Amino acid sequence: MMHPTDEAVLLETRRQFFARGARGLGFAALASLLRADEKSGGLPSLPHFAPKATRAIYLHMVGAPSQIDLYDYKPGMKDWYDKDLPDSIRQGQRLTTMTSGQSRFPIAPSVFPFRQHGRSGAWISDILPYTARMADDMAIVRTMHTEAINHEPAITFMQSGSMIAGKPCMGAWIAYGLGTMNRDLPTFVVLNATHTHPKAGVQAISAKLWSAGFLSAQYAGVALRSGKDPVLYINNPDGVTPVVRRRMLDALGELNQIQYETVHDPETAARISQYEMAFRMQSSVPDLTDFSKEPESVFDLYGEDARKPGTFANGCLAARRLVERGVRFVQIYHRGWDQHNFLPEVLPAQCKDVDQGCYGLVQDLKSRGMLEDTLVIWGGEFGRTIYSQGKLTPTDHGRDHHPRCFSLWLAGGGVKGGVVYGETDEFSYNIVRDPVHIRDLQATILHCFGIDNEKFSYKYQGLDQKLTGVEKASVVKGILT
Amino acid sequence: VACLLALPLAAATVDFQRQIRPILSDVCFQCHGPDSGTRMAGLRLDTKDGALSELKDGRVIVPGDPQASLLYQRVTHEKESMRMPPAISHKTLSAAQKELLRAWIEQGATWKEHWSFAAPTRAALPSVSLQSWPRNPIDRFIMARLDAAGLQPAPEANRRALIRRVSLDLTGLVPTPAEAEAFVHDASPDAYEKLVDGLLASPLYGEHRARYWLDVARYADTHGIHIDNYREMWPYRDWVISAFNRNLPFDRFTVEQLAGDLLPNRTMEDQIASGFQRCNATTNEGGSIPEDVDAMYAKDRVETMSTVWLGLTTGCATCHDHKFDPIGQKEFYQFAAFFRNTTQRPMDGNVPDTPPMLVVPAERDLNRWNQLRAEAQRLARLSVERHDAAGSDLDHWVASRPAIEDPLDRAIEAASIGASGNQIVARLNGVARTLPATTSVESGLGPDEQTRAIHFGEKGTLSLSSLNAIDADKPFSIAAWIYLPAGEGSFVVASQLEKKKETKQDDDDEANMQGWAIEINGRIPSLRLSSDNIIRATGGVMERLKAGAWTHLTFTYDGSRDRRGFRIYMTGKAATVEGTGSAPTLKGSIHTGAPLLLGGDGKRYFSEGAVADLRVYRRVLREQESYILASWSAIRAGQREPLLEYYLNRVDGPYLDLARQAEQVDAERQAIRLRSPTTLVMQEKSDTIPTAQVLFRGQYDQPRDTVTPGVPAVLPPMAASLPRNRLGLAKWLVDPANPLMTRVTVNRFWQEVFGRGLVKTAEDFGSQGEPPTHPELLDWLAVDFRESRWDVKRLLRLMVTSASYRQSAVATEDKLRVDPDNRLLSRGPRFRMDAEMVRDLALSSSGLLDATIGGPSVKPYQPNGVWETVAMKSSNTRIYSQDHGEKLYRRSMYTFWKRAAPPVSMDIFNAPTRENCTVRRERTNTPLQALVTLNDPQFVEASRQLAQRAILAGGDDSDRRLDFISLSVVSRPFETHEREIVKKEVRDLLAYYDAHPAEAAKLLTVGESKHDLTIPAAEFAAWTMAASDVLNLDEALNK
Repeated sequence: MMHPTDEAVLLETRRQFFARGARGLGFAALASLLRADEKSGGLPSLPHFAPKATRAIYLHMVGAPSQIDLYDYKPGMKDWYDKDLPDSIRQGQRLTTMTSGQSRFPIAPSVFPFRQHGRSGAWISDILPYTARMADDMAIVRTMHTEAINHEPAITFMQSGSMIAGKPCMGAWIAYGLGTMNRDLPTFVVLNATHTHPKAGVQAISAKLWSAGFLSAQYAGVALRSGKDPVLYINNPDGVTPVVRRRMLDALGELNQIQYETVHDPETAARISQYEMAFRMQSSVPDLTDFSKEPESVFDLYGEDARKPGTFANGCLAARRLVERGVRFVQIYHRGWDQHNFLPEVLPAQCKDVDQGCYGLVQDLKSRGMLEDTLVIWGGEFGRTIYSQGKLTPTDHGRDHHPRCFSLWLAGGGVKGGVVYGETDEFSYNIVRDPVHIRDLQATILHCFGIDNEKFSYKYQGLDQKLTGVEKASVVKGILT
Repeated sequence: VACLLALPLAAATVDFQRQIRPILSDVCFQCHGPDSGTRMAGLRLDTKDGALSELKDGRVIVPGDPQASLLYQRVTHEKESMRMPPAISHKTLSAAQKELLRAWIEQGATWKEHWSFAAPTRAALPSVSLQSWPRNPIDRFIMARLDAAGLQPAPEANRRALIRRVSLDLTGLVPTPAEAEAFVHDASPDAYEKLVDGLLASPLYGEHRARYWLDVARYADTHGIHIDNYREMWPYRDWVISAFNRNLPFDRFTVEQLAGDLLPNRTMEDQIASGFQRCNATTNEGGSIPEDVDAMYAKDRVETMSTVWLGLTTGCATCHDHKFDPIGQKEFYQFAAFFRNTTQRPMDGNVPDTPPMLVVPAERDLNRWNQLRAEAQRLARLSVERHDAAGSDLDHWVASRPAIEDPLDRAIEAASIGASGNQIVARLNGVARTLPATTSVESGLGPDEQTRAIHFGEKGTLSLSSLNAIDADKPFSIAAWIYLPAGEGSFVVASQLEKKKETKQDDDDEANMQGWAIEINGRIPSLRLSSDNIIRATGGVMERLKAGAWTHLTFTYDGSRDRRGFRIYMTGKAATVEGTGSAPTLKGSIHTGAPLLLGGDGKRYFSEGAVADLRVYRRVLREQESYILASWSAIRAGQREPLLEYYLNRVDGPYLDLARQAEQVDAERQAIRLRSPTTLVMQEKSDTIPTAQVLFRGQYDQPRDTVTPGVPAVLPPMAASLPRNRLGLAKWLVDPANPLMTRVTVNRFWQEVFGRGLVKTAEDFGSQGEPPTHPELLDWLAVDFRESRWDVKRLLRLMVTSASYRQSAVATEDKLRVDPDNRLLSRGPRFRMDAEMVRDLALSSSGLLDATIGGPSVKPYQPNGVWETVAMKSSNTRIYSQDHGEKLYRRSMYTFWKRAAPPVSMDIFNAPTRENCTVRRERTNTPLQALVTLNDPQFVEASRQLAQRAILAGGDDSDRRLDFISLSVVSRPFETHEREIVKKEVRDLLAYYDAHPAEAAKLLTVGESKHDLTIPAAEFAAWTMAASDVLNLDEALNK
C-alpha cells in the first residue's frame, strides 16, 4: 500500500506537472500522462470483432507434462505393460537421439488412477485433485500437436509461433495490437515460479520467451520477480525516500522542459512522460505485491503456498491482482516437467506444485466475475511417449518427448467449460480426431481477444509477419462459447 | 514512405523505383512475384517481361494506355470478385495508389531493375541554392533535397555541442571538460578537423566501432541455446577492436571474417577473425538431431552474411522461392553450401572451446608455441618412420622368444581387476585377491575368447579395498573393456566416493561427494572428479558407445586440476573430449578412503552391464599405450601390427626415446595451453567439397537435390577463377561488380552517425525494404568508399566533417512539419544513445571508468536472480558472480553477455540478445529505462562520484560545483535559469538530509567504490541527487 505522504507528494506534483504540461508539452505528451483507466495504444483496426477476452493468463508448464498421466486416459494400456509399441503406431516417427538408440520401446501404462469429473465426465488423473474439481470450467484439448521435438525450439514455437529466436511472443503481440488498459503497470507481465522436487527434469527458459522480437520493445513482457525488487530497478536506492525522489524528479522535469523549449525535439516531451510513468510504477508496484490485505479465505482457496514468494500459487494470486489492475497478459512459467526418468516419483510433486494454484486462480476469477473475460491457458510445449525411456519396472519409468499429441486446457474468456476436445489413438501416440496445431491454438487465443489472426500482421523484413506464421491456422470453434 | 510520397515531384512524373515498384512489391508479388511455387495465373510482375506479357485476357500492361492494360482493369474492376488484390490477400490499394499506377502506365510504364541490383555510379554533384553552405559532396546532395522540400539547413551547432556529438560518435565517450574547453578556445581554422583526426586516432575509436559490429556479428559469451554455458570468444572481440583501430580496409575486414582460415599463409589473426562465423548460437540439448542442428547453423550463417553484406533477407528462401526478391530456394541452399563443409560438429559440448578452436598464446609464449608445434610434428613424423622401419627388429625380437606378461610396465600399475574362470581377480595397491562370484556379480563372457568379464546383475556391485593411487594432483589413467547394455540408460560403472564432512545429511547430491566415478549417460562415457567442485571429462559425444556391445575405454588425467587435463581413447583411438566443470579448475582433494566400488555408486548402477580387464596406472598413458591395452588379446595371440606396437612401446629404444621427447613437448604445449585463452574459428573439411541439399519447406528431414556453392543469378556471377568455397564467396562479395556490398556498408556507418540509414531498413535493400531518401548520395558514398580502398576512417571523417553533420539539432516549426523525423537532415542528428553509451557516460563523467582495452568479459553490478531464474541447474552461467574492483567500471562492451539473459540494464535500453545478427537497434523510451538510470547502483554510485569530484573541484561555490557536473556530462555550463533550478533543489535536499542524516549516510554507501569521508554527508547526498538529475537529463541521454 502506498504511504499516505507519498500519495500526497504524487498528487501535488501531478498538479504542478499538468499546469506546466498544458503550457509546454503539447497535446500528445499530455494525453499520455493522463491517468486514464481506459485502453490506450493498440491498433485502431483492432479488435476485428467483439472480443470475449480482454486479458489472459498463460500458465506454461516447461518441460512438457505427460498427457498420458494427466488428461489423456488410456485404460487399455494396462494390458500392454512392457510390450513393444507396434510399428503400425510408430510409423517410423523420428525420435530424439535420447531414445533413438533404444532397442525396445516397451509400453509404460500410467501408474496413476483416473476418475471422471463434473457434468462433462472428463477423465482426470488423481494427481490433480483440485484441477479435477473444476472440470466443468475447463475445455481440455487432448489433440495438441507440434513439429518441434526438443524443448528450446518447442517452447519458443509455442510462445512465438516460430522455433527460431527473434519473433515476438504472444503477450507482445496482444500488447501491440490491443494496447494497455492501465497507466501504472506494464501491459504484459511474466512470472517465473519455483518447483520443489529435487529430481524434477528442469529445462531452460530465456528472456526470448517474453521478448517483443521485431515489435517495439515497449511490448515486451516485464518480469515480475519475487523478493525485494519485484520489477527490476523499481526501488529507489537506499537513502532516497519518495520525498527525495519526487523533489529530484521535479527538478529533472523542469530542466527537461527548458531543453524541450530550446531544442523542440518531441523526444524530450516523451522523456518527461517516461520519467513520470516510472514514478507512477514505483508507487503502484509495492501495492501490487503486498498481499497482506488479502483475506484468509483467499489463502484457503489458493493454498498456503500462496503466502510463499516465488511459488506457483503465489504467482497465481499475483496474476489475479495483475489482471485486476488492468494488465492484459500474464504469463507464469513453472519448470521441472521433463520426466525422462523417475516419472512416477516426480510427476505427483510437479502436479502438487501447481494444482491448487490453478484451481484457486480460476475459482477466484469466477467469483469476482472476471473469468468471463479472462482467458486462462495451462499446458506444456509437447507431449510424452507412451513407451518408457530407459528401464521399465512396475514402479519406475521415464518418458521421452512426443510432439504428435499432447493435452492442455483453457478456461474463461470465451472458452466453453466442460468440454473435452479431440481424440488420440489407444496409445496416445497419434491423433485420430480433431487435431489442434499450436498455430490453431494461437489463432484461437487471438480469436478470443477479437482478433482475426490472418488480418493481424506487422511488416518486418518486407513481410507481413503473423503470430501464426504463413501456414493456415484454424480457430478451434468446438471449445468456444 | 508516406513522407517521401508527399514530397513535391518535378512535373508529376511518376518515379517507378520510388513510387511504383513498392506498390507492386507489397500488393502483388505475393502471388505474382519471384516465387514460382505460388505464382498465380502464370503472371509475374517483378520482371519487365512479365509485366508486358500477354495473358489470355489481354496484355498485362500496354504502355501509354491504362484502359487497355489488364493490370489497371483488374485493380479498378467494379466486381469485387474480379478486383485485384483479392480480399483473401488482406491487401488493398488506395485510390491514390491506383491513380499512380494509371499515371505511370499513361506515361509509358518505364521499367527499371530494382534500384539496389543496379551498380552504383557516381552522380554529378547537384547544384544547390546556397553555395556557401556545403563543406563536402555529402552536403550538396543533402542540400538539394532540402531545396526541393523548401527547407533551409540549420546553423552550425555551437562548439560545445559539436565536440560532444563528434566525440560520442567517434569514441562513444563524452569529452572531458578540459578537452571541451581546449576546442572551444582553439582559434585555428582547422580546429574541428584536428579534433576529428585526434578522435579517429584514439584507441577508443576502435572500441566504439567494434561495439556496433558485435551486434552484427552476434557476439556473446555463452553458447545461447539450452544449457547456455560459457563460450570463450573474446579474442575475436579484441580482434574486431584492433581491426578498426588499425583501419583495416573493409574489404580485407570482410574477407578475414568470412574466410580468414582459408587465406594462403594465414596468420593467427586471420584465423581469429574467422570466428565471425562461429559467433552463432549453438546447442547441446540432449535429443537434438544432428541434421536439424547443422541445417539451423547453415541457415543462420547465410542469413547473417546476406544481411550484413548484401542487405537481403534471404531467410524467406529457406522454405520456398523468395516472395519479393529474385532469390530462389535453390539459390539459398547454394549459399548454404559455402558454410556446410565445416569440421564443426552440431553439438557444442557445453564446453567453452568447441572445436575447431584456436589457442591464442600471449605474445611472450607465441614463438615457443609455434616452435613446439613444429617439433611435435617432426617427432610424430620420425615415430611413423621408425614404426615403418622396425619390421626386421621385431622379427629378431620375436625370434628371441620374449616373455610377454603384462601389457604395460607392472611398475606403474596401481590396479588390475578382471575375471578368471568363475572368480573375480583383483590386484590393488600391489596385493592380489581372489573373490567368489555372487548372485548379482558373476564371471561371464568377455570381449574375446581369452578374456572373461565381471557381469553385473540388477544393482549388483563389487566392493574392493580403497585404491590410493588417485588424487587431484597426481596423473593417472583408468582403462577397461566395457559392455554397455542395450538402451540409453544412465549408469555408474565404477566409483570411489564418500560424502564430504560438511555435507548436510539429507542431501547426497553429487556435488556433496568427494572422489571419482566413471559414468555412462546416453551412450556417452565420462570420468567425474568431485571435490569442492566437479570437473568432468566426457568422451565421444559424436562417436558414442555402441549399446549391446563391448568397447575398450581409456581415461587419462594429468594431475593439473584443469578440465582440459583429460584425454579419452575408445578402442585405442583418441576420442573427442569435452572437459566440463562447475569451475575451470578443481578445488580440494578427491582422495578418499572409501572402497573402490565396481558396478555403481550406491545410487546408480551398471545393471546388465559388464567390465573386463580394468587397469589403473599411475601416469598418463599415451594413445599407443591405450591401443596396446585394447589389443592385449591380439598381442598375446601374436598378431603382427599389435605386436609391433607392443614392441615399439615397450622394447624399442629409438622409438621410446622419440615418445619421451614427444611427451616433453606435449607437456610444455599443455602448460602454454592452460595459461592461454582460446577462441572459436572456422576450419574447412579437407576431404570433401562444399555441398548442400535443398530442404523441402526448409525441413532438415526432407532433403531434395544436392547443390554446389553458387550465388544468386540476379547478382553478378562469381568469377571462374575464384575457388568455390568461403574464400571465393568473400572475394565475390567485395568484388567491385557487387552492387550491394558497398551501399549496405556505407549505409550502416551512416546509420551509426546520423541515427538512421539513408535506407532506413538497413537490413533490407530488397524489394520490400524502404528506398533510400537520397539515392544519389548513397551511390556516391558507395563508389567513393570503394575507390578510396575501403578506408573506414576516411568515410567517417567525410561524414562528421560535413556541414550536414555539423548542424545544430534545434528544430523549428517548419522543419518539424515538413521533416518530422529528420530524414532530410534539416537539422543536426540528435537521438537517444545506445545502452552501452548511456552507462559509459555515467562511468566516464564520474571518473570511475577503467580504460583497459580487451580481455575477458566482466560482470558488473546486476540485480540478483536474473540468471538463476532462467538457467538450467547444470549451466555454468546459472549463478551471476559479480566482479569487484576495477572490473565494475569497464566499458560496457566488455560486460559478460549471456544470451539467455542479456545484461538487464542494457536489455532495457534495447540492446539485442545477440542470438541473431542485428544491424539496426531499436530506440524506444520506456519507464523501465528511467528506473535504470535513476536506481541502478552503477548509476547511483556514478552520481555520487561525480558529486564528489564536483565538490572537491568546486570548493564551496555552488556554481563551480554545478559547472563541473554539467561540463562533465553535457559539455556546457548551465544557463542561469537552469542553475536556479538545481541550486534550489540542492537547498531543499540539503535541508531534508540535514533532518534525516541516516538516509544521507545510506545513500553515500551505494556501490563498492570509496567515498570521501571529509565531505559533510547531508551536503554530499544532496549533490549526489543533483548529479543524478544531470545524468538523467534528456540532453545527457541524447548525443
